[in-house]
Amino acid sequence: MTARYDIAVIGGGIMGCATALRMAEGGMRATVLDQGDLGQGASGVNAGTLSLQIKRVKLMPYALKGHHEWKAMGDAVGFRKTGGYTLAFTERESELLHERQTLKAEAGAPIEFVSNNHIRNAEPNLTQKVISASYCPEDGYANSSLTGQYYRGRLRDQGIPYRERCPVTAIAQDGAGFALDTPQGEITASRILMATGAWLKPTAAMLDVDLPVNARINTVSVTERLKPLTSTVIGHATGLLTMKQKTNGTVLIGGGWQGRGTPQEGRGQVTAGSLQPNLALAQFALPALENARIIRSWTGFEANVPDFYPLVGALPGVEGAFVLGCVRGGYTIGPYISKLMGDFILDREPELPLFDPGRNFKED
Amino acid sequence: MIRLAPDQSAQIRRTEKVEFTFDGTAIWGHAGESLAAALIRSGRLHLRDAPEDTDPRGAFCLMGLCQECLVVLEGQTVESCRIELQPGIDVTSLRYGADG
Amino acid sequence: MLLLCGTAQMADLIDILVVGAGPAGGNAALAAARHGKHVVLLDEQVKPGGQIWRAKDSSILSAPQTPESSAGDALRAQITKAQIDHRGSTRIWQIERQTEGWDVHVLRDGQVERLTTKTLVLATGAHEFVQPIPGWTKPGVFGLAGATALFKQNLSPPGQRTIVSGTGPLVFFVASEICRLGGTVAAVVTPNTRRDWVAKLPALARRVDLALRGALWIVHLMMDRIPIFWGCSVVSVEGVARVESAEIQKLDANWAPKGETWSIDADSLCLGHGLIPSIEAPQLSGVTISYRSDLGGWVPDIGEDGATSVEGVFLCGDGTGIRGAAAAELHGTLAGLSAAEHLGARTAKERATLRSRFNRAARFGLAMTALSTPRPGLAMLTKPDTIVCRCESLTQTRIAQEVEVGAASTNAVKSGLRAGMGPCGGKYCQTAIARFIAMHENRPEAEIPPSAPRPPLRPVPVSALSADFDYDDLPIPKPAPL
Repeated sequence: MTARYDIAVIGGGIMGCATALRMAEGGMRATVLDQGDLGQGASGVNAGTLSLQIKRVKLMPYALKGHHEWKAMGDAVGFRKTGGYTLAFTERESELLHERQTLKAEAGAPIEFVSNNHIRNAEPNLTQKVISASYCPEDGYANSSLTGQYYRGRLRDQGIPYRERCPVTAIAQDGAGFALDTPQGEITASRILMATGAWLKPTAAMLDVDLPVNARINTVSVTERLKPLTSTVIGHATGLLTMKQKTNGTVLIGGGWQGRGTPQEGRGQVTAGSLQPNLALAQFALPALENARIIRSWTGFEANVPDFYPLVGALPGVEGAFVLGCVRGGYTIGPYISKLMGDFILDREPELPLFDPGRNFKED
Repeated sequence: MIRLAPDQSAQIRRTEKVEFTFDGTAIWGHAGESLAAALIRSGRLHLRDAPEDTDPRGAFCLMGLCQECLVVLEGQTVESCRIELQPGIDVTSLRYGADG
Repeated sequence: MLLLCGTAQMADLIDILVVGAGPAGGNAALAAARHGKHVVLLDEQVKPGGQIWRAKDSSILSAPQTPESSAGDALRAQITKAQIDHRGSTRIWQIERQTEGWDVHVLRDGQVERLTTKTLVLATGAHEFVQPIPGWTKPGVFGLAGATALFKQNLSPPGQRTIVSGTGPLVFFVASEICRLGGTVAAVVTPNTRRDWVAKLPALARRVDLALRGALWIVHLMMDRIPIFWGCSVVSVEGVARVESAEIQKLDANWAPKGETWSIDADSLCLGHGLIPSIEAPQLSGVTISYRSDLGGWVPDIGEDGATSVEGVFLCGDGTGIRGAAAAELHGTLAGLSAAEHLGARTAKERATLRSRFNRAARFGLAMTALSTPRPGLAMLTKPDTIVCRCESLTQTRIAQEVEVGAASTNAVKSGLRAGMGPCGGKYCQTAIARFIAMHENRPEAEIPPSAPRPPLRPVPVSALSADFDYDDLPIPKPAPL
């Protein structure tokens, strides 16, 4: 048995690793445990979009800070600030776009509406069917596949021990803190942080706490390498499409189309019925995709709660246990909100308000 | 010399030779054989450059898995080992760069 | 919102969908059809036969028969006579469980289609393992098994002067075929020794016909004065933009290279080190996998007669472990009968009589697999600057660095470096990478599974997936919360 840690972080995604790094900076002895490899959940399989245009109004200050975090991580995470367009193809979408992006601009995102001429010059390969579009110069993407590699390196550099393929199967409170059962032996810690994303519900259930977390099963696809077709992040007014061409020429296509499966059963599954319209919409927006071949499609489980706000704070009713999970936009916000979480656990005043996991979720 | 498995190549009857082009060069093959087979027979082994290091590549697995024999036919990227040769087709090598 | 999944197709509910029309799948389809089941047989190739009995293409008007072409013709004739609904040039790209049965999504003639079936028989065969060596990406290097596709389908040799290097019986078959088709074999190079073969005599005695045929290949090569280098391997390939020569070196008992090297000129090289079961389709159907070195690596978990723990899914042939064509035929019949039994036919007696024949054939096949399976030292052929992942041009050094800093699974290496994210989907690098991790971390290979397969199982054009799209059919979602 190893010595008692100040805190054991369950879940080695962006949230868990970034919080561990913050707490270690503050002097805590932290460890990170993951049921698989680091960064292979939502943190590592999402489409990597960093777009203020798809962030919630109330979360805009967090998203702006998040963008700074990604920029600072830079090449190591494949960060590219490309600017991004959100497209409307119908009058109805155009109205929706104006209404929503105006509110987001008011919340601090540098979003502007652009003329059709502007977008045709900037992205000549997009369909001529665009009737209106918004643009945000801050938008871009990072390479989510690099999440595990990046945080493995950071944890190692900071001397924070981590264990992969180490699922926590039971949590007991032992007076001085917590004892965690794992296949690699018992791990004890004075505090615990649950940062298991879409798996938060079963994690909290080990301490008899019911968190109202379920999972969205987002589909992402990638093409083979193509000649340069687009240089920015492309979105759609309904949110049904995100698309960007990586520097290697592959085009990554998402949009929140739902696969099936549950985190408890393991990996989610792509469904053809959802994949096909997703790709058809991508081809509608970027007709040259017609000749591209899809190499791979996959799903990632994203945590979801009834009011769609993050969970950042104390686990209700259990002294010394904390929860950190994001809902929509977790990739963008994660590296920043993890600092707030770390500060809270370190007993420091967080820069921005947290989101109480014990709140009444019906309120908003 | 006694050969237990003699050279039977002279006993193989094939369809007439037809022409096609690869990157503008005329090449002959037999209608109905795989494009990769015709290219290999012509000695045209170098079909594309690897995108990461421009290393020359050509057909390798010959069963539609490795994706090394990709060429462009009518705007589509295709596996030359799985394309039937038709007379007169114009095949080009796959270019990944901006000059595409 | 299910734009491309109209209910019209539902009428055509298949009893047994067989994927793969080689010895296993072809016989599974025949057996199931004999019991009156509505069978559809899908295959990537134009005609049935699989890799082993691959049919000649339409450019061949006539040619001398070989044992493979005869066996293939016999299977093709049976499939035609039984009026099996065979759909060639058809690739499956996705398999989905539905409340009753399965949806199988296929690509054919540039169009996608959904087939619905009560049961699945997956006979997806094998692909090749090639230990990466310096220069193996040069044009003119072909997979050893892959080259046989050229012989069987196109009746063409791979070049004018070919070196054949690899494990098991396949090197001799390939060399013999090259001679038959008018090519020249510069050398046959095999890590196996004559002693390895002698040790397999008891198994060879079980199939005197096949053993004799193998012996004739070797006699022929010797009479043609083609050098056979036993206990050796090609260790590097030289040439500017194509094969010009290859270096050969002696191997030790563990198959690690040692001692002097020598060079042989050639314009082509056939290189291969055994077969790997193609398990992606079974995995996509939910079948679990286990590591079995005697069967060629990771294999799907199967029970008797190809049954699996997933209801309605049956597996057979080399995709369940490399047992060879003779065993695959019988395994296919058994799995076809199992699937028919699942749908109410009574096949227990028939299967009971076949099982011992299958086991006998499998013993011969497994002896050949044992000769073909690389020994650990073969991994030493891969040098630091050798490309391991062909799609992304990743060298062994890059992979070693990634493993060094903690990437301890094929999945972690894939995420960090894109090894396996290229168009081949990892088919030609994952096994070498898993073995490298195992060796580096001193862990058993059984702890390092391949990355989970992702659809599409083969690349699919966006145009095929988006056909029939009408923008007005887009479901308008509830807007995301502001």
